[in-house]
Amino acid sequence: MMSFLKQMEGGASCVVRIVGNVAAWSGLALVLLVAFNVLARYLFSFSSVALQELEWHLMAVAALFGMSYGLNQGGEVRVDIFYARFSGKTKAVVDFFSNAALTLVAIYVVYLSVKYVQSSYAIMEGSPDPGGLPLRYILKAAIPAAFTLLALQALAMTLGALRLIVGSPDEAGQH
Amino acid sequence: MPFAEILPLMMIGAFFLLLLGGVPVAICLAVTGFVFGYIGFGPVLFNLIPARMFGVVTNYTLLALPLFIFMGIMLEKSKIAEDLLDVIGLAMGGLRGGMALAIVLVGVLMGAASGVVGATVVTMGLIALGPFLNRGYNKAIASGVICASGTLGQIIPPSLVLILLADIMGESVGTLFAAALIPGLILSGLFVLFILGLGVFAPKMVPAFPPEERALYSGGDIALKLLKVVVPPLSLIFLVLGSIIGGIAAPTEAASMGAFGSLVLAALYGRLNLSVLKDAVKSAFVTSAMVFFILVMSQPFGLAFRGLGGERLVQDAFAMVPGGLNGQLLFLMLILFVLGFFLEWIEISYIALPLFIPIFQSAGVDMAWVAILVAVNLQTSFLTPPFGWALFFLKGVAPPELKTSDIYKGVIPFIGLQLIGLALVFCFPALATWLPNAIGW
Amino acid sequence: ADTFSWKMTNAYGPGSPFYVEGPGSPTDFCKKVEAMSGGRLKIQHFAAGELIPAMEGFDAVRSGTVEMNAANAYFWAGKIPAAQYFTTVPFGLNFQGMNAWLYHGGGQALWDELYAPLGMKALPMGNTGVQMTGWFRNPIRSVDDFNNLKMRIPGLAGKVYSELGVDVKLLPGGEIFPALERGVIDAAEFVGPYQDRRLGLQNAAKYYYTTGWHEPSNATELLINKAAWDTLPADLQAIVSSAAMACNLESHTWCEANNAAAMVDLVENFDVKADVLPKEVVAKLKEVTDQVLADGAAADPATKKVHDAFFAFKKEHDLWASISEKPYHNLLG
Ligand code: NA
Ligand code: NA
Repeated sequence: MMSFLKQMEGGASCVVRIVGNVAAWSGLALVLLVAFNVLARYLFSFSSVALQELEWHLMAVAALFGMSYGLNQGGEVRVDIFYARFSGKTKAVVDFFSNAALTLVAIYVVYLSVKYVQSSYAIMEGSPDPGGLPLRYILKAAIPAAFTLLALQALAMTLGALRLIVGSPDEAGQH
Repeated sequence: MPFAEILPLMMIGAFFLLLLGGVPVAICLAVTGFVFGYIGFGPVLFNLIPARMFGVVTNYTLLALPLFIFMGIMLEKSKIAEDLLDVIGLAMGGLRGGMALAIVLVGVLMGAASGVVGATVVTMGLIALGPFLNRGYNKAIASGVICASGTLGQIIPPSLVLILLADIMGESVGTLFAAALIPGLILSGLFVLFILGLGVFAPKMVPAFPPEERALYSGGDIALKLLKVVVPPLSLIFLVLGSIIGGIAAPTEAASMGAFGSLVLAALYGRLNLSVLKDAVKSAFVTSAMVFFILVMSQPFGLAFRGLGGERLVQDAFAMVPGGLNGQLLFLMLILFVLGFFLEWIEISYIALPLFIPIFQSAGVDMAWVAILVAVNLQTSFLTPPFGWALFFLKGVAPPELKTSDIYKGVIPFIGLQLIGLALVFCFPALATWLPNAIGW
Repeated sequence: ADTFSWKMTNAYGPGSPFYVEGPGSPTDFCKKVEAMSGGRLKIQHFAAGELIPAMEGFDAVRSGTVEMNAANAYFWAGKIPAAQYFTTVPFGLNFQGMNAWLYHGGGQALWDELYAPLGMKALPMGNTGVQMTGWFRNPIRSVDDFNNLKMRIPGLAGKVYSELGVDVKLLPGGEIFPALERGVIDAAEFVGPYQDRRLGLQNAAKYYYTTGWHEPSNATELLINKAAWDTLPADLQAIVSSAAMACNLESHTWCEANNAAAMVDLVENFDVKADVLPKEVVAKLKEVTDQVLADGAAADPATKKVHDAFFAFKKEHDLWASISEKPYHNLLG
């Protein structure tokens, strides 16, 4: 049972890590893109509606796929006034419920957003601005895709917490 | 009180309980939003959640966030920030609190370039927290200085808060930018006085560099170091500011000049290699994601608060306020302050302000003045524990040994200073109204 | 009798005059409907950001989560390209002509036909009237002055300008002032004297051009979920239609009165130079516009159908306008 939990956990967070490692570079792309748009306009009077829209497309992708990766890397923020004083086991219980709830929330958002993407796909939604980026539904599809990953990551963390709860007290203490 | 009206209060209560129980902020927001929304109005409104989330991640004005965070990380990972603050500390000689003063200055300059609260707090946290702690600054004071200086961006123009207030209150953006400048500088001045005071009365909290270390360098050495180490990174901030003032970039996109500049700078210092870049790209990604995670997950909470008619609570309370313009103004300030505990500032503005604006307008009160009072108040709300965006964003980039309680303790004196600033603008409206009139905006 | 409790979202933020508040605005529409129906149809209004972000009303109404949305149909250009014709068309119809087309020239039927497959219908519910060409930091004397000019101008008009060498910059409303004031952009289009003064644009640029070529009028769209609409009894439907029509007139006359006062203020107190674009420039803009509209119509059958109907009506209306309104305006000098 323990090793099964561990395997599931490892597999899920491995997927999240791979996707995150790739998506992370969108941040650098964003920096270069916005700087290019500013400098090209100022220096060469060059501007493109598509490249301006690409700015927030990149931000959206980075923000959405960053959520699961951020959790994977321990990036969640909590008020630790009491949490810091909890025992390892109590912490694990809080984490178990937090992450189980997050798993459900993420699955629910996937369910909700599939309809949202479908309605965009059905009319082949693009940019309202001439010269803007087409295929807006692909950007919108990043929501269910990213929340699927988030559900996976949250599930992995739920299993991790469960392992600590049912595991030996030693193991819980080390966490 | 009927059940339906208690629900938003219960939602807020549940949120605080989960928050204090150590459940991550983002999860508290989403869970309470979904659960209490479902109890109150069923699942129908939740269909709007994807649209709200899409709105957050594609919000153009939030571009400054990942860009400034990238700049901060780059300066941190390439050790440029550490050198910078070290040299400033050295140059301040025996003056206690020198590094903190430098951070207030950076806050003023970055504030003048950015209007997004998370961007400045996170960036300054990345740059300054390490050096502060290494140099023996009190953890709480270090956190307070960073959060308070980081929120200066909201009052020093250009600012997202002012742009939104201009729209809601029917003032021109230019008028509010001009009106906010003097109050913003007064707040910065109060922070400076406070730090200087700490240097005198609590020297251990804001230590100067030890004399032995200072003795290692001559005045000439330090001057040279200043030139080599301090000028280039500071010039990044002037690059951002200058690109706005010089008409090269609009406020939001100007952040890219800083981010791009930090890459160039690291390369010039010979500290840019693939491993530094990889490391920086990854950290910037995780840090930006931490901020967006909270913003995205706060959508169910905001939707539920609206859907449950939470704004009615505020309206009912308002109906009970005794008459008199000053009384109503003070009540507005109180409401903003209290809502700041659990709502995000845009939601606060939308809920509270429309109630009051017609009253003040028909009474002929100068709306620019009211707007500045509101802006200072909202800025304070970013700092108020337990729920202040600035506090969470700093926690997100802080090392584990910095506890939430340190941050809470550290911001309290600064909240006091903010309230003094607020009182000054309240008693002397000319602080806000003089400049826009003088320059004809 | 049955009572109905509906929600309306809005593409504009809280407090904006005309778009949200004031005579003939969407909140006024909700009040009118409630009063006329004796409280049988209550519509709760949510400005942009209160329930959903500005541009999400289309999907919210389509899914039936909210029953109504107030916006401009050209915001949906990325979803239904032909929708733009129901807000405004460059070198198209003014307030009189647009309403004549919609109410009596077959426009409304085309609009219904366009939205029917998506389960929605729309009504005109307001109009700004003619909009200003925009604020320019330097005078425009010839077409060459557009070359490398940086301008904040969204939509079709942006496409037309870019063909003439303009660098189109997309900017949110709040950043127009700082960008124009510092010269990041050389020109910006917004609405008209009253709304533009509210943004403070007179402090950022002094040349204020007109012709209204890009927006000779600008209709507010009341978008309605069709299934919800069909549940309304005939009297409530009539109340909604009549209230929308009343708002159309009331909002427009409100704009006329307030723009007149604001224009005087801008010229007298802010040293604004209000001027008409040179004839040669307008002719060139018209030439490019015709091409851009033709390209759009060629790319999409639904757009072609609306385009042809719109311009067939316009042709007829132009002749009448040229011997009715035009001579009279010429008399005014
Ligand atoms: Na600012
Ligand atoms: Na316009």
